[in-house]
Amino acid sequence: MSKKRKGLEKISLIVIALIALTSCGQKEDKRTAPVARKANIALKTNTIETNALKQLSDYGFFKGQLAQLNPNENVYPYAINTPLFSDYAQKARFIYLPKGKQMDFKPNGPMDFEDGAILIKNFYYPNDERNPDAGRRIIETRLLIKEKGAWNPLNYLWNEDQTDAELDYVGKTMAVDWVNSEGKTKKLDYVVPNLNQCKNCHNANNKIVPIGPTAAQLNQRYRSLQEDINQLDYFKKLGILKGLSTAEAQDKMPIWNDVLTGSVEERAKAYLDANCAHCHSAQGSAKNAGLYLNYHENDQRRRGVFKPPIAAGKGSGDHQYDIVPGKPEESIFMYRMISNDPAIRMPEIGRSVVHQEGVDLLQQYIKGLVEESF
Amino acid sequence: MKKRLIFLFVFILVVAVYFLQRESLPTYSPSRDYIDLEAELVEQFILAKDSSVIELPAGHFLFSQSLSLDNKSHLTVKGQGMDKTVLSFKGQSSGAEGIKITNSQNIVLEDFAIEDAVGDNLKISDSDSVVMRRIRSAWTGEVSVQNGAYALYPVLSSNVLIEECEAIGSSDAGIYVGQSKNVIIRNNKAFYNVAGIESENSTNVEIYGNEAYENTSGLLIFNLPELTVYGSNVNAHHNKIYNNNLTNFAVKGSIVSAVPKGAGVIIMATKDVKFHNNIIEDHKTVNLAVVSYEIFAADEDELGQETLASEAQARGLRAIESDYKEDESYNPYPGRVSIHDNTFSNANFLPTFSNEFGLLWLLKNKASIPDIAYDGIISPDGSLQDDEHRLCVRNNSNASFVYLDASHDFEGFTSDRTPFDCKLNE
Repeated sequence: MSKKRKGLEKISLIVIALIALTSCGQKEDKRTAPVARKANIALKTNTIETNALKQLSDYGFFKGQLAQLNPNENVYPYAINTPLFSDYAQKARFIYLPKGKQMDFKPNGPMDFEDGAILIKNFYYPNDERNPDAGRRIIETRLLIKEKGAWNPLNYLWNEDQTDAELDYVGKTMAVDWVNSEGKTKKLDYVVPNLNQCKNCHNANNKIVPIGPTAAQLNQRYRSLQEDINQLDYFKKLGILKGLSTAEAQDKMPIWNDVLTGSVEERAKAYLDANCAHCHSAQGSAKNAGLYLNYHENDQRRRGVFKPPIAAGKGSGDHQYDIVPGKPEESIFMYRMISNDPAIRMPEIGRSVVHQEGVDLLQQYIKGLVEESF
Repeated sequence: MKKRLIFLFVFILVVAVYFLQRESLPTYSPSRDYIDLEAELVEQFILAKDSSVIELPAGHFLFSQSLSLDNKSHLTVKGQGMDKTVLSFKGQSSGAEGIKITNSQNIVLEDFAIEDAVGDNLKISDSDSVVMRRIRSAWTGEVSVQNGAYALYPVLSSNVLIEECEAIGSSDAGIYVGQSKNVIIRNNKAFYNVAGIESENSTNVEIYGNEAYENTSGLLIFNLPELTVYGSNVNAHHNKIYNNNLTNFAVKGSIVSAVPKGAGVIIMATKDVKFHNNIIEDHKTVNLAVVSYEIFAADEDELGQETLASEAQARGLRAIESDYKEDESYNPYPGRVSIHDNTFSNANFLPTFSNEFGLLWLLKNKASIPDIAYDGIISPDGSLQDDEHRLCVRNNSNASFVYLDASHDFEGFTSDRTPFDCKLNE
């Protein structure tokens, strides 16, 4: 009897274990990439032949060793107040203006450029954020070139030896590592965008546009000089910016991580402007969502407060609103900022790790919003 | 002995629970042998010449990133057939879509399959003159909330033709036309989706010859608030919509997560709708419903069993009111809707009790599932006879009809079709 019972118990346990196993197996993770084999399949090519320069060095933007990014004549370094987060990559920005050409000052939106102007943005990781002399690895150099009244994006990928960068259209994923300001070694898979992904962000009313060089973003001390002079004023002094009265009379974008430059709300708005508004605006790629995050958007519902999602799909994370005042944990904003899932994360492209410092700022901002005032 | 009985009891319970919970969710599992031709094909797409053809070879091609076409014109992407050429985005690490087409004109996509994108399988926006022909767009495996949202998704586009395509396993809508103009959706199949076919905020849409089955809901004709574009003028005919009773597996918070399973067709807040010569069969909630945005947006969870009518109604309305204030250009009521010459039947005797409509039929309609239900919510100062709100229902074999009178706590609930026996735009 007792033996029989034990046998029965054993069988039962085995059956239960089997059920447990099979039911676990059923919930396969659909996100796992299967293995693909390489195969030699010839494609009939119908691709455009471009006359774009093949190497970055062909442009002559920099003198001496290319990787030093030492600007030649007519190439002007610049910086912006609140940049787009790009997986902790740092950026060295330059404007190239053909000799004698000027930028036309615009109080709102980017400066106006003439044909021949080129915006140059180098993405790099310092080997050690604590030590500027430890060197850096430049990953890519993105160009926006103005020709025949239109902007065209081109991208150049740096070689291992850092001697030059080569024209690339299709993008690439590459492993990068660096030591951060706390001395921790960080590693991630950096995604170089393909040509169409460039266009996705640099899009206003279906035209390609620059994003960074706006009056409010440029309105700061000129960092490339010891001298204490405002960047906009300096460009005016150099004779490459026309139409500016004084920088002082212009809007100034707060620096997202500098508490002296604005309140939490102001800095959060600056952060959202730089990281989201290129798509989330009335002109951007995400206009159909009805969420507008430009710095000067004052309609709280359009900014996401108690706004239900329109096209979020699973990006809503079962939350009802983009922002629930006082409750970051119930806000879709936070859900999407702390996710790395390509179907959920925001921004959709250009980020593969969570920007913790940005998340902290947005947490503070949403916590500080008071429900009753909406 | 007692111990043994308890053990046996637990054992049986575990087995029983296991089999009961194993709700039979449908599964689409084609066999695949993935090939990596990613870099070459990505380049073909990005650098495609205008007025050319991208020929996709036979094979199952796996991608870790989206394929995209931007600012192209007169371009054809052609595979070797939906069973032979498969573009799979399973486990993709970059981009949310499978194929994304933007700012393009005169684009033809035909004869291939798209699978398992993390977001939408095929999204086309801000484009004109687009054809999707014999495209099978699917998520493989058992249907799941992990599946992407839209299988075929033209949005903010014009002159769109979707024909002989298949949409399978979308966690939102299979064939989903949003905020577009001049659209034909014909001879397609949609199954295992939350919504099989959905026309959302689109104008001049003709939907015919399609089959939608085994979705949560077969066909949605929706007009939603707070979008850049509103839609009207939808003509749906000669479709077969049957057995859409699939458990809703959409993400909560999405609009389709509020669609009750077993709703064959829902016409919501859309003006100038013709719905005729269709076959609608075997739905456990309702074969066809004509509703305002108000009743639809009332959250299911708030409609408890005891608070069937007034409370839920009040809550639903309150929740939505803010929308109207914000969005004056939106009209939340359906109108000039003509439903005629359709064939309705239902093999289900009892409605599902998984949603408030089933319970409403139990209390108010002798537990019988109506073929056609109209919520009767109209603008506060309007009347049912206004041209703006007109609903005509005639000559639908022996279709049963209910008028819910939802704006008066269902007081005027009736199955009398007489006030709606009229002809409109036929």
